[in-house]
Amino acid sequence: MKESMVSAAVFIQNILPTLLRASGVTVKLTAFSIILGIAIGTAVALMRISRSKVLSGVATAYVTVLRGTPLMVQILIVYFALPQIGLRMDKFSSAVIALGINASAYIAEIIRAAIESIDPGQMEAARSLGMSYGLAMRRIIIPQTYRRLLPPLGNEFIALLKDTSLIAFIGGEELTRAGQHIISATFRPWPVYITVAAIYLCMTALFSFVVQFGERKLLQ
Amino acid sequence: MSAMIINARTSNNHGMVAGTSVISHAVNVNTNYLSQAPQPGSRPEAPMVELKGVCKRFGSLQVLKNISLSVDKGEVVSIIGPSGSGKSTLLRCVNYLEKPDSGTVSIAGNPVPEDESALNSARARVGMVFQHFNLFPHMTALENIMEGPVQVKRIPKSEAKEIALSLLSKVGLSDKAGAYPRQLSGGQKQRVAIARALAMQPDVMLFDKATSALDPELIGEVLQVMRDLAAEGMTMLVVTHEIGFAREVSDRIVVLAGGQIAEEGRPEDILSAPLNQRTREFLAKILPPTRV
Repeated sequence: MKESMVSAAVFIQNILPTLLRASGVTVKLTAFSIILGIAIGTAVALMRISRSKVLSGVATAYVTVLRGTPLMVQILIVYFALPQIGLRMDKFSSAVIALGINASAYIAEIIRAAIESIDPGQMEAARSLGMSYGLAMRRIIIPQTYRRLLPPLGNEFIALLKDTSLIAFIGGEELTRAGQHIISATFRPWPVYITVAAIYLCMTALFSFVVQFGERKLLQ
Repeated sequence: MSAMIINARTSNNHGMVAGTSVISHAVNVNTNYLSQAPQPGSRPEAPMVELKGVCKRFGSLQVLKNISLSVDKGEVVSIIGPSGSGKSTLLRCVNYLEKPDSGTVSIAGNPVPEDESALNSARARVGMVFQHFNLFPHMTALENIMEGPVQVKRIPKSEAKEIALSLLSKVGLSDKAGAYPRQLSGGQKQRVAIARALAMQPDVMLFDKATSALDPELIGEVLQVMRDLAAEGMTMLVVTHEIGFAREVSDRIVVLAGGQIAEEGRPEDILSAPLNQRTREFLAKILPPTRV
């Protein structure tokens, strides 16, 4: 028993550098997807609350479709179906686009809810000073949403980080895929998957900590 | 343009009893700025605010029925009436926070425009004070007051700061420049809100139940600021439940009932000898029995 524990420890020590390198890809995937998700999500949120029925209709449809279909299927469509209509991309770009667009639907709802939670009197006061709708949004409404945005956005980013593991299924060389490679060569799923899971946990825990720290900062 | 001496009241955080005017020292504050310069495009002979045949309905509820009202430059008009009579809606129609269904609103002889950017600049000339203050919580008192001049009028920050500081001293809150709204009492918040509206150098000030959300002991300090403002010749349209204040400060009282103007006239006439049945009923409810 003791011997096998020692051998497992040595084995994990050996595979750790490979897995850590692969988690670098996971972090990069997450970061790019978050940026894309926030950019599209903010635009979709502003469209949803706009007075234009067309804009808010398009935004609602966008959110409904992307939240209502599996992320796995969305990834497969971006990677395997889009090239057939001439949109060819490398694995990393496909992954970022699929993950980022999927996240943007959730982020749009988070931002919309935060904006709608601000007292309408704030907009009225800003407008009564002669501010345009856009200026009032930028100077008065949006800055007040930051603190309310942070906890749900933190959740969303943690979910996104874990969802990057789905990219293994299109052969993206991220953390989960790297684990699978090692298992197919060594036939030792236990120590490999436990280590992979532990690395994900470390990353999400670190991220939660950062979000909590940010929240405290914004509370001051 | 004559130089104007502004009486700065001492900041009195313990609340000020209505009617007491504590004038500690007179300071000469940015005189050109605070005197009422005629705005470009305003016609001096036209009433400052003029509503003609204004109607407004929310769903099946007709809130305003064919309201016509005009307020001259420098006039203080109080709007009183039972709750639900449309007082706030009427006030909000003046700067198009509510768009009337029909009828016209003119400020200084210029019809309030439909066009979005023209409407913004028209709104900048109408100050509004809200029942719940609506201060921007993420900005200090000073920043709240500077926001309009800097962002809307594009005045340099240093100049806007000077204006804001002089307005803070005018409302007796010089020592609260760096305070955030959550650190202020209700009365202090409302005085900052008044300063914020004044910073845009408005032609007319609208007060929407400005003292209704305040603790009784804080009402006096806000009414005092409003009284000072009226004395300086500001055109004011005041929706209020403070009948004593309306009697003392207004040039005219308008009684609104059921979305219509039931009666309007000089305060002493309206309050002591109301002609209209609905005015009598309303006053009987809010005034001590001996007075009616």
